[in-house]
Amino acid sequence: MAAPGPGEYFSVGSHVSCLTCLGQRLQGEVVAFDYQSKMLTLKCASSSGKSNLNDVILINLAYVSEVDIINDRTETPPPLASLNVGKLANRARTEKEDKLSQAYAISAGVSLEGQQLFQTIHKTIKDCKWQEKNIIVMDDVVISPPYQVENCRGKEGSALSHVRKIVEKHFRDVESQKSMQRSQAQQTQKDSTLSS
Amino acid sequence: MFTKCCITFIESCQGAVGECTSTVSSERLVIIYQREELISTLFINYLFTGPPVNVIIVPTTAAPPTPQPGLTAIGQGALSCAVNNNNQQLVCLQGTKCELKVKNGAVYEGVFKTYGPECDLVLDAAHRKSPEMSLAPRKEDIVESIIFKTSDVVVVTFKDVDLNFARKDNFTDASVSGRINGEHKEKDLEPWDGGETHNSDSLESLDTDVSNGWDPNDMFKYNEEKYGVLSTYDSSLSTYTVPLERDDSEEFLKREARAAQLAEEIEASATYKARVALENDERTEEEKYTAVVRGERETHTLSRENKYIPPGQRNRDAMSWGPGRQNSPRLAQNSAGVSTPRPGPHDYSPSSGADQRVVNGGSSHWPSPCPSPSSRPPSRYQSGPSSLPPRATTPTRPPSRPPSRPSRPPSHSSHPSYPSSSSSFSHHGPTSPASNLPKRMSSEGPPRMSPKSQRTPRAHRVPPSRISGVHPGVDLVPHNPAGDVSAAPSTRSSSSGGTWSSVVSGGRLKFTHRPRSPRQSSLSGASPGSSQTGTAPVETVTLISASSPTAASPAPNMVAPPSGDAKECRVQETRQSSPSANESTKPVDNSPFSLLAGPPPMAADHRKQIDNLKKFSEDFRLQPSSNPEAAFEPMMTKSQRDPADNTNTNTSKPGSPAALSPSPSAPDQKRAGLDVTSQGVQTTAVSAFSGPKHEEEEKKEAVQDQVRKSTLNPNANEFKPRFNTQPKPASTPTPPRPQGQPSPSIVVQQPQAVYGQTVCFPQMYPLTPVSPGVQSPVYQVQMPHMTVSQSKPYRPGKVPNMPQQRSDQHHPPGTPTMMHPATAAGPPIVAPNPAYSAQYFACGPQQFTSQPLVQQMTHYQSQAQHVFSPVMQGSARMMAPHTHSQPGLVSSSTTQYPEQTHTMYANANMHADSCAPVSPGPMPQQYAHPSATLHHHPQHPQPSATPTGQGQQGGPQQHGGPPSHPAASPVQHPQHPQAAAAALHLASQPPQQQMYSALAPTPPSMTPGPNPQSSQASFPSAQQTVYLHPQVQHSYNHSHMAHMQQAHMQSGIVPSHHPAPTHPPMMLMATQGPPGGPQPQMPQAALNPIPVSSTTHFSYLAHPQGTRRRQRSGHLLSLKEDKVGSTGIFWIFEECRGTVDRRRLSCLQHVQKKCL
Repeated sequence: MAAPGPGEYFSVGSHVSCLTCLGQRLQGEVVAFDYQSKMLTLKCASSSGKSNLNDVILINLAYVSEVDIINDRTETPPPLASLNVGKLANRARTEKEDKLSQAYAISAGVSLEGQQLFQTIHKTIKDCKWQEKNIIVMDDVVISPPYQVENCRGKEGSALSHVRKIVEKHFRDVESQKSMQRSQAQQTQKDSTLSS
Repeated sequence: MFTKCCITFIESCQGAVGECTSTVSSERLVIIYQREELISTLFINYLFTGPPVNVIIVPTTAAPPTPQPGLTAIGQGALSCAVNNNNQQLVCLQGTKCELKVKNGAVYEGVFKTYGPECDLVLDAAHRKSPEMSLAPRKEDIVESIIFKTSDVVVVTFKDVDLNFARKDNFTDASVSGRINGEHKEKDLEPWDGGETHNSDSLESLDTDVSNGWDPNDMFKYNEEKYGVLSTYDSSLSTYTVPLERDDSEEFLKREARAAQLAEEIEASATYKARVALENDERTEEEKYTAVVRGERETHTLSRENKYIPPGQRNRDAMSWGPGRQNSPRLAQNSAGVSTPRPGPHDYSPSSGADQRVVNGGSSHWPSPCPSPSSRPPSRYQSGPSSLPPRATTPTRPPSRPPSRPSRPPSHSSHPSYPSSSSSFSHHGPTSPASNLPKRMSSEGPPRMSPKSQRTPRAHRVPPSRISGVHPGVDLVPHNPAGDVSAAPSTRSSSSGGTWSSVVSGGRLKFTHRPRSPRQSSLSGASPGSSQTGTAPVETVTLISASSPTAASPAPNMVAPPSGDAKECRVQETRQSSPSANESTKPVDNSPFSLLAGPPPMAADHRKQIDNLKKFSEDFRLQPSSNPEAAFEPMMTKSQRDPADNTNTNTSKPGSPAALSPSPSAPDQKRAGLDVTSQGVQTTAVSAFSGPKHEEEEKKEAVQDQVRKSTLNPNANEFKPRFNTQPKPASTPTPPRPQGQPSPSIVVQQPQAVYGQTVCFPQMYPLTPVSPGVQSPVYQVQMPHMTVSQSKPYRPGKVPNMPQQRSDQHHPPGTPTMMHPATAAGPPIVAPNPAYSAQYFACGPQQFTSQPLVQQMTHYQSQAQHVFSPVMQGSARMMAPHTHSQPGLVSSSTTQYPEQTHTMYANANMHADSCAPVSPGPMPQQYAHPSATLHHHPQHPQPSATPTGQGQQGGPQQHGGPPSHPAASPVQHPQHPQAAAAALHLASQPPQQQMYSALAPTPPSMTPGPNPQSSQASFPSAQQTVYLHPQVQHSYNHSHMAHMQQAHMQSGIVPSHHPAPTHPPMMLMATQGPPGGPQPQMPQAALNPIPVSSTTHFSYLAHPQGTRRRQRSGHLLSLKEDKVGSTGIFWIFEECRGTVDRRRLSCLQHVQKKCL
């Protein structure tokens, strides 16, 4: 394959903007580019707004209609850091397990509330799993549908009280969210009525 | 749209290359790509029928994938392995969730697993995201893995990724410091000065405060009062043991004596000392490494001696050490002359801390005692001395021999003379400690010592007496040397060196200590014996030096025995006067050393002595001309040069009768290495040895070996190369080869074929045997490893001695034990030539002498010895079943050996283990210890211990005492038709050979790791490597060993050497076989596991035992496999390099296998 000609190659560090065939506009800093496969890797600011995180986009240039180099960078990219492969592999495994575990619960017919609660608890306590429709936290606390605070059962102790706190807070947050949405909806309704 | 799709995916390919098994009949696509370290390998077999379909990867064990409607097509064909390096960036994304949008607009969500050569992407636990499915997917929606062809992928979005997640340098200094805000610069540490009000006493009190926290009784009391907890502690430990019922029966007394002997052996072992030192090292981490150095203050004797000084900086250190040494000397003086409030500090300073302690502890529990006077048990000392006496006996022998010294140089026949020389040396050694030594000599030496030997000792004693007059000074001197040595060693850090130094210093220290403390004085009575023994070794050393013609001429000049003492005193004084002077003193010492060992009394002196010894060895090897050079060299480099100087002094000593005394110091060193007991006396010398510490020690050892060789061999010329080489471990080996060549018989033996280097070494050994041949074939064999033929022979001798000693101790088993020793040392020689057996007798003395040399050479020798011993042991064990005592002895020796040569030992151990259950336990421990840097040292100490035994044996041999002789003189045994003995010999020889071969092979391997494993490695490189990668080495070593052994075996271990072909061969085979077997298997096993999972490799490394087991199993298997593939060896070497390489290797292996 011929060497990439001018304009066909993206140097690491350049800022590129492109439009995919699906009408999606993507922009970011070039992290990697594989000329053979025309795969371009862009690094963008995190969609969640976290400064220490980034969104990474892999783009197949074969399906991109427009490519604009916002600014080019000629200096050589920093050397690649050695990676902790084990760490990466570990992450891949845990992520996969988490997802499968989640899927398991869903397939078991767990309600949306239950799934949300599970997600919330999982953020705090990694050691939680599904047992049928029950959430088992730390092999100690069982939360059965409908997953309310009073449904938390287990040996009295710090674990149980802690889980209860989490559950309590979860539903409180959910309520507040709903109220927020409601108020927003009302607001919009008012706005619309006012405008009308 | 999509008809069928069947794909097999083999999981857990990461880091390994595997096979793909196709469960599909028609088309199969195998995708194998491996990303170095980054991405694992994927094996994909998939069959398409009908239009292209997305490839669904399913675990092989899983049910066949279900066709996924709606998936976009994926192209077919094998994937190439061209991947843009930039894509490595993708690796950072591994394990992150992503949304992948394909051409048709469908969106898949999954965990990014990996990517292919052409940017094919693999998502784990992927599912198709549908607009209506807002929440998580159901189980049925999730596909284990999906490979997306690049051409189908439009966009992949990874959200909230931490790109630095897997960066490895998160904790490097640079990365950490990079985050530090503000300006940071190194703070200059300033010593705290309390001012006049806080005089040194207060500081000392802190330093020397022995009371460490609560008294146990206080704790019990407090708990009882405060918590109502009643301690169930029973001082009798009835829960754990049974009270000993004492009676006056003969049997009990026998057993008690035996126990005492064993205890002595154990406590004299370098390992024990090292351990004790570790335990009793009162210095904190801060003191050792970070505390403000108060070297300028005498009060703070702790100062820096204890600190580890990198070999490269040792010279500087020596300079810096000077103060410390001075302090130590001062302290010693103080302690000796004046009761210093800080016993502990003294200890530290004198011995350069731990080392001395260790030594002390080892020999007589001194280690702890030293720090805390109270801890020192007089009784132990006495016991120590008692133990020492045996060693002293060896010295005695030397005395008789000394006369022959002159003759020795000319001919090997002079062996006897060697012993005598050794005795003289020992005396010299004592000179610094002489006062103590003489006492000991007088007390214990005479009885045990042969008349002749006694005489000589007496003569020595006389000098010592002079010295004794100086006692305080002498003591101080020894201490200083020890301190120097210890400092240089910081031996702990450098395990081998440290231990040695410690041991040696310990011996001296003991002496010194004894004098210092009232108890000690009482003890000194006992200690004298030890000192004597120590002296004896020293003498032997001198003798050895004398033995070497070249050395004799130059060395004599160099050493002015009598003056040496005076010089020592002077040196001490000088050192004391000016800390910095130490350096100057050292140089001075060197010159003095050349004159006498006397100056060495100081740590510097010791070092110098050591250097001299080394030089001597070198000189001897090199011949006289080399000696001068060596002397100069010592001057140049304190550690090396010092040793060289010592050697030189030794050599010079040999030359002149007076010189003999100085030379003794060198011998002492050697002996110290050999005999722990002797060490006490020799301590100075030993300390000198230790001074160089590991490297130095190694060098010294090498030098010693060389010296020994020189002494042993007229082949000084050959030795010269060695000397040259000695400085360089690698080089040293080569020189030995030449030496080995001299002794054709031996050389031929084994390994050569397999490993050129190794072979050479073995040859060297043989050579050494030739000159020293009489002394011990074993030694020679060992020597080969060491490269220093002389040293090797000595060591072997030591080793043999050890067994012998043990056997002697065990009297009952005596003959068997004797057999063992003989087998251990003698076998090789014996087997080859009857004459050798005779030589052994002669060697006995030589061995003694050699031992001293060994001490210097300690590492090399010890290693070599260890190797031999293991082999011997192994053989012995094989044989052992017959002899009761042997096992014990063997085990002890083996243990020691194991420490020194891990791999070798391991192999031997393996064999031994298989053969003798008893030994195994010790062996492993030893191994473990060996892994530690100290091991080398310990080994030396052990050797020293053995030396005593040797000495004893030697004594008996000379005397003709049947019991002791049996062990001592392998020849006799050989003579005895005893099939067992023969078998042992044969076996032992083969093993040794194997060992050698193994060793040799390792060196050739190039890999440092292997070298360390190999005896050669043990010398210079080996030690280093060992230090670096104890565990790995072990494991590797095992394999290497196995390989080596196998190779050797194949080459013809069994072949000629063993008269008793069938039985011995069998034995050998068994021992060898296992090793060999293990080797092949080992590598494979290791490799195989690796491919499967990286963890296996690690586990292997982490768990030598496990590997050993594997090896064993492998051995069994390997037994069948006589052929050791070059690849196997290669692998072994490769393994040493690192896990990564291992992985690669494993992969390669797999590939190779497949190919095959």
